[in-house]
Amino acid sequence: MSWFRRPSSTPLWRDEFPVFTADERYVSRRQFTKFLTLTSFGMMVGNLWILAKSTFERPASYPEVPVAAMGEIAVGGVKIFNYPTAADPCILVRTAGEQYVAYSQKCTHLSCAVYYEKDRNRLECPCHQGFFSVADGAVLQGPPQRALPRVVLARKDGQLVAIRMEGETA
Amino acid sequence: MAKAPALEELRVHYGPHLNYTPPGGWVGEKTTPEKLVKTHCCFCGQQCGIQLKVRDNRVIGFEPWEDFPFNRGMLCPKGVKRYLQGSHPDRLLDPLMRTADGFRQATWDEALDFTVRRLREIQEKYGRDAVAVYGGASLTTEKAYLLGKFARVALGTRHIDYNGRLCMVSAGTAYKGAFGVDRAPNPWSDIAAAEVLLTIGANIGECAPITTDYIWRARDKGARLIVADPRFTPIARNADLYLPVRPGTDLALLMAMLHVIIRDGLTDGTFIEAHTTGFEKTAESVAPWTPRRAAEVSGVAPDAIEKAAHWIGESRRAMMLHARGLEHQSKGAENCEAVIAIALATGNIGREGAGPVMVTGQGNGQGGREHGQKCDQLPGQRSLTDPAARRHVASVWGISPDDLPGPGYTAVEIMNAIHSGEIKALLSICFNPLVSLPDANFTREALEKLEFFGVIDFFLSETAAHADVVLAGSLQEEEEGVTANVEARVIHIQKAVDPPGKARRDSEIVCDLARRLGRGDYFPFHEPREIFEELRRASQGGHADYYGITYEKIDRLQGVFWPCPTLEHPGTPRLFEDGRFFHEDGKAHFMSLAWRDSGDPVDQKFPVYLTTGRVVSQYLSGTQTRRIGALVDQYPEPKVEIHPRLAAEHGIANGDWVTVTSRRAEITLQAALVRTIRPDTVFIPYHWPGGRSANRLTHRTLDPRSKIPEFKVSACRLRKAAKPEDRD
Amino acid sequence: MFGMEFYVDPSRCIGCQSCLKACEECDTHRGVSMINFDFIDREQTIATAAYVCWHCADPTCAQVCPADAIKKYEDGIVGSSLKPRCIGCSNCVLACPFGIPKLVPQYEQMMKCDMCYDRTSVGKRPMCATVCPSQALAYVTPETIAQTRREKPVNTFWFGNQKITTKVYMMAPAEAGEIAIDVADYVWEEERELVPQAF
Repeated sequence: MSWFRRPSSTPLWRDEFPVFTADERYVSRRQFTKFLTLTSFGMMVGNLWILAKSTFERPASYPEVPVAAMGEIAVGGVKIFNYPTAADPCILVRTAGEQYVAYSQKCTHLSCAVYYEKDRNRLECPCHQGFFSVADGAVLQGPPQRALPRVVLARKDGQLVAIRMEGETA
Repeated sequence: MAKAPALEELRVHYGPHLNYTPPGGWVGEKTTPEKLVKTHCCFCGQQCGIQLKVRDNRVIGFEPWEDFPFNRGMLCPKGVKRYLQGSHPDRLLDPLMRTADGFRQATWDEALDFTVRRLREIQEKYGRDAVAVYGGASLTTEKAYLLGKFARVALGTRHIDYNGRLCMVSAGTAYKGAFGVDRAPNPWSDIAAAEVLLTIGANIGECAPITTDYIWRARDKGARLIVADPRFTPIARNADLYLPVRPGTDLALLMAMLHVIIRDGLTDGTFIEAHTTGFEKTAESVAPWTPRRAAEVSGVAPDAIEKAAHWIGESRRAMMLHARGLEHQSKGAENCEAVIAIALATGNIGREGAGPVMVTGQGNGQGGREHGQKCDQLPGQRSLTDPAARRHVASVWGISPDDLPGPGYTAVEIMNAIHSGEIKALLSICFNPLVSLPDANFTREALEKLEFFGVIDFFLSETAAHADVVLAGSLQEEEEGVTANVEARVIHIQKAVDPPGKARRDSEIVCDLARRLGRGDYFPFHEPREIFEELRRASQGGHADYYGITYEKIDRLQGVFWPCPTLEHPGTPRLFEDGRFFHEDGKAHFMSLAWRDSGDPVDQKFPVYLTTGRVVSQYLSGTQTRRIGALVDQYPEPKVEIHPRLAAEHGIANGDWVTVTSRRAEITLQAALVRTIRPDTVFIPYHWPGGRSANRLTHRTLDPRSKIPEFKVSACRLRKAAKPEDRD
Repeated sequence: MFGMEFYVDPSRCIGCQSCLKACEECDTHRGVSMINFDFIDREQTIATAAYVCWHCADPTCAQVCPADAIKKYEDGIVGSSLKPRCIGCSNCVLACPFGIPKLVPQYEQMMKCDMCYDRTSVGKRPMCATVCPSQALAYVTPETIAQTRREKPVNTFWFGNQKITTKVYMMAPAEAGEIAIDVADYVWEEERELVPQAF
């Protein structure tokens, strides 16, 4: 570390072993051990805090959000919507006459937006060629390790309503 | 009968062994005190304030007591180490009784009953006065008072005297004769306010170290110091004038100084006229003592005498400190009278920074000589022969004045009477005459003649080795009481610990003896406080009036100077401020001064002056200080101080063994060659017994009035010797 | 510290050795006395001198210690050797210009006066200066010294060409400035400048 030291006529050893206690930067073993113990303890407390927080803070029940009207999109068509919050993009696909599926649009690999490849009837991620099944969101190919979280839909009054998510890892 | 058992045997059991380490050791948790007891030193008359650290009923150390005004935390080495006398392996924990070849432990009943039986037998056979009592000036005032009452009321003997007979009696006689009262007239703080200080026969630096600071502070303000001493003592380093007075000739020096003061008109005529009597006869007696004549006698240059006289005569703040060097002479009383005469003649008395100063030596030398422990004295510094005094004290004691004995023998006279067979029994406390009386061989012969010898002591001293019974008594820190220090400040000695083993408090022992003698009604005391209460009444109206003093008042005022006649009275730090003295006529009395030769004159066969004295690390006969390791290490063996010139005449080199012979005996010591002594004088410190005892050489000439022995002037001769094979 | 400084005046010393006895009673180093006491030359003179450590501003003992065992604290006191570090090499014993540190054989460690740090660090006076009956060793405020003594406190010493400033003051005659301790400094030799205080 001598390159951090200003040039001086006093030899280094005099600085490192000063005679005057006022100049000492000496850290004793005791002080150092104390420091380690306290820091370690602090971290443990931090971890326990996070654990307690997550244990006792259940997320509020999923909201019910209308997504689209029946018949709004064509078969093989998609609609992008946000669920459960405005920061969570999702994709709705009408796979057949009255069959609709919806998934989180964030690829489980690195969160790129997946799109619906109509010809091959699957959800594809353009970033790293990750493919997901439209039927259940499972990984068909590529780097993603986890299935796409699925948005559960219900029909109410002629509307498709997202009522909860499934397969979400918090 | 009282022949001592073999010394080596005794030493194995009873010492002196050296104690170096505090109880519980130097380090560890046992070094934390449970309490600090504010009390005073057990040694010299300065009575320095000190705090004792106490733990588990033992004294484990000391802490300075900076608030006590006399010494403000300062202490000499003896005071620092005094606590090591407690928890000592040599401490007597049980009474001892003599056997054929030593001592055995006894029960208290056995020892006390035996003592009482023997005393009674001897008194019945030989008369009341066949029994003598020795007391001491390191006893608290309560015990000194108790002892005087015990001798007169319980034993009915007239022979009670004390070791202060070897200390303050010359000064006492002189001051009493001149002023009517026996006390240093000024508080010690006056010393620091003086302009001229004379110390004569006073080795302040080694015998009263704490007074050194008072002298230095006076010098800081420009005061001048004159030191008169055959030796160049430590304070002489800063003397403005050093007078190398020949041993025994101080009177010549003082008379010549007074001569010069009168001759040059330095007297305070107004003061002499108004407040004194008898000046003419004093002036007449010093008329022939010119400085030249005094120089021939004393070896002090005439010019120096003139200078000293002028410095004192021209000052309105002159103080003259004197101690045993001046007083241990057959002219001791006259010497002090000469000092007083100079003070009175120059009007240097009764004011701040002005007066003669007697430096009391022993711890309670002042208090111990006020309340009846002396052979001619009653409490309050009253005279035993004064009818009014006898009436007062007898009424306090509840006896008839006719039952009070008359005056008895003084300490050395008692030993003489023991030697001649007149006195058959001795009961002694706080006194080690085998080491401290002159002519030690004579003392030993005397002790061996006693039919009964009882001693109260805490160590087996050299004298106690001759006893038939040794009653295990208490150290100063084991009993409460009061003492009076050098300036007659009455102070409180606190009890710090209980006596160890089966040792008992001294006052308990004396009261028990009185009870077993059938006189218990007159000794109903259980605590020193009760003794003090009676002492207050007994001293009331006397010069040393303690009536207005209580323990609590002492604690509150940090000491009370007597006389203190009423409880409201604040005490009397300075005497004679109003020009009134304690005689009937209210005046100070001059005495006529007459020269005498010393009792053991130097001559052809014994051409060298021998003077004795002390070292700073030892106290009196050394019973306590020769048992403390650090103090013995400071000055382990007595040496004879010889000037190189004198040593060269005898072919003696530094460290050679020298036999010093006097008319009585000889001892062999190593020589210490020093230029700090007169070339015609040698010096030996006296704290050691047997073959190292300076008092084997000294003589029994007494001052005719004070009866003090002439320790400071003897004649001797020197001869180089071989190292002694076997010396006790 | 607490406004008081230590003053040594050997001319007042009466050689009673009370300082020596009291020193070993202080709690920092019980049983070992750290006062340096001398009879100057008993045959010729009664003069004695007792010295404590001078607590130099730039302590030579600390500078030469190979084990970093001697430290100077913020209040100016130079401590005795740190027990875990001192190797008993005696560098400091030889280097100190005043000859203060002593190697104590039974502990194989250097010990020297630390001005009764257990007492002075809490405002009490060191043992020696408290008990000294002649106040040759005194621990008082500079105002007290100025008001009561005629001597002047001096704390710079010349040892040959080395100038030493100390925390402890020596009382010197009023005219003295710095004290030179080398007779050679008093000797006049052409071409060489004498130290200022020589005459």
